[in-house]
Amino acid sequence: MMALIDRLLEKRARSAAQHASRRGLLKTLGGALVGASAVPLLPVARADGHGGPAHPQEQGSDTDCDYWRYCAIDGFLCSCCGGSANTCPPGTEMSPVTWIGTCHNPADNRNYVISYNDCCGKPSCGACLCQRDEGDRPPYRPDKTNDINWCLGTSSASYHCSTAVVVGVAFEE
Amino acid sequence: MLRKSLLLAVLVGICGQVAAAEPPPPLPVEPTGVIETLPDRYPAEWFLVHDAAFFHMSDGKVYVIDTSKDTVGEQVQGMFPVNLMGSYLQVPSRGEIMSVETFHTRGTRGDRFDVLTIWDNANLAVVAEVQLPGSKRFMGMPQRVALRTMNNDRWLAIFNLSPSTSVTLVDLETRSIVNEIPTPGCSFVYGNGDMTFSSVCADGRMLTVVLDENGAEQSRGFSDVFFDSDDTPIFERPAQVGDMAYFPAFDGRVQPVAMGASAAMPMASWSLIGEGEESWAPSGIGLDGEDDLGRIYFLMNPEANGVDGMHNAGGAEIWVYDPEARRRVLRIPLQEWGLSFAVGRGEEPKVLVTNPVDMSVELYDGLTGDFIRKITGFGQETPLMIMSAQ
Repeated sequence: MMALIDRLLEKRARSAAQHASRRGLLKTLGGALVGASAVPLLPVARADGHGGPAHPQEQGSDTDCDYWRYCAIDGFLCSCCGGSANTCPPGTEMSPVTWIGTCHNPADNRNYVISYNDCCGKPSCGACLCQRDEGDRPPYRPDKTNDINWCLGTSSASYHCSTAVVVGVAFEE
Repeated sequence: MLRKSLLLAVLVGICGQVAAAEPPPPLPVEPTGVIETLPDRYPAEWFLVHDAAFFHMSDGKVYVIDTSKDTVGEQVQGMFPVNLMGSYLQVPSRGEIMSVETFHTRGTRGDRFDVLTIWDNANLAVVAEVQLPGSKRFMGMPQRVALRTMNNDRWLAIFNLSPSTSVTLVDLETRSIVNEIPTPGCSFVYGNGDMTFSSVCADGRMLTVVLDENGAEQSRGFSDVFFDSDDTPIFERPAQVGDMAYFPAFDGRVQPVAMGASAAMPMASWSLIGEGEESWAPSGIGLDGEDDLGRIYFLMNPEANGVDGMHNAGGAEIWVYDPEARRRVLRIPLQEWGLSFAVGRGEEPKVLVTNPVDMSVELYDGLTGDFIRKITGFGQETPLMIMSAQ
């Protein structure tokens, strides 16, 4: 595990130099998603209906922490756990509520709303731990926090890994 | 005569050697079944190190560590589990530790049970359980503000997030649920008088709820808006001196909130950073603390100010302040990096810091800032939160 953390730290330093501390860390946790009364169930419903392969107008690998969709993620990447950026591994359960982030896709220069649905019901995947936290807020903003275990509304509270599902193009401010 | 004396001396010497070569008496038979105990009140040098077991969350645990010792055998005093990203609170007046945790009947599947497990300080043994309703207790990164006692330590207030928010009140005498108080839009439980609690709200206000002697809500009120959770967020974890809670902000300010009144009252904020320090900001998980001298501590990151996504990365130094004078009194440069820390009790406080580079914990002198020792190899993997033992 220490080697994994070391790699995580080094990767973050290299790939997100402007954002990541060299020793920045494993904060982590839990999973993410949000829900909250303010934003909530729309992203969820869309996520449930999703699940296809990655869109062709994307660049990079969904097993890399610096993949564009993971800008606000904090957890184990489902792409390294038998799932993908938008699907859960076999035998797990996708959380029906989630938190959302807004990430920029450099391939088409658009901002997208990303729903970070957790996959639940099995022990921690343990692979590809990724923490980026862009736009993350403390848990008093549940719609924008990745600090809580978002295996809520699932039959099991056991967190396994996190997805990053595109649920729409973000509105321009 | 001389020859006889020499001969006698040689014989005595030989006999002495023979006697010395005889084995010592056998070890006495030892009793089995002996279990160690701890003092009711833990010494100031002891800390509680919460290993949330991020890579296997059903194995969360809290180590009781004596930081004054040099070897693992002397440092580790005991341990208790906190299952599935649980929360805990030591209540010294009761000699007990409150632990809120979650179990499934088949490990990671099956029926779910949320329970308050009550351990006694001296035996680290379970003395009671209270089943909590509704699969709603807060479950996430370890927090110091998810639990607190009220009503002269008779009640335990438990923060829920499902993601709707509320506070469950448990009677620690009868070991039963007293009430559940909804706190829509507001989170955590902050001390604010014995029959009152406050919560921080997404809209930038503080909620204060006053309870009656039966645990029923008597009144509630809100402060004015004092921060913007999008643009000028505060951390939810304050350092606390007396009735004043000092919330660090992402942008390097500290926001005092008076908790001694019937309603939480935000005061004027002030900056933790000075000229030439504009890139510094608070960052980390357990990123602040306070000591018995009335000083407050913040974990500071040299490159986090104004950088999105850096607020949980931890920091390179701990800065100590006199909050009355609004003046920094000490900088503690860390050996490598810090993610969480806690400050011990007493007039000569020690600071125990999680070093995320090797997941050890490191002890510093809170008066001089000197590094004292690294503590590791006690079974910890992800010691994400530390509390001073009580």
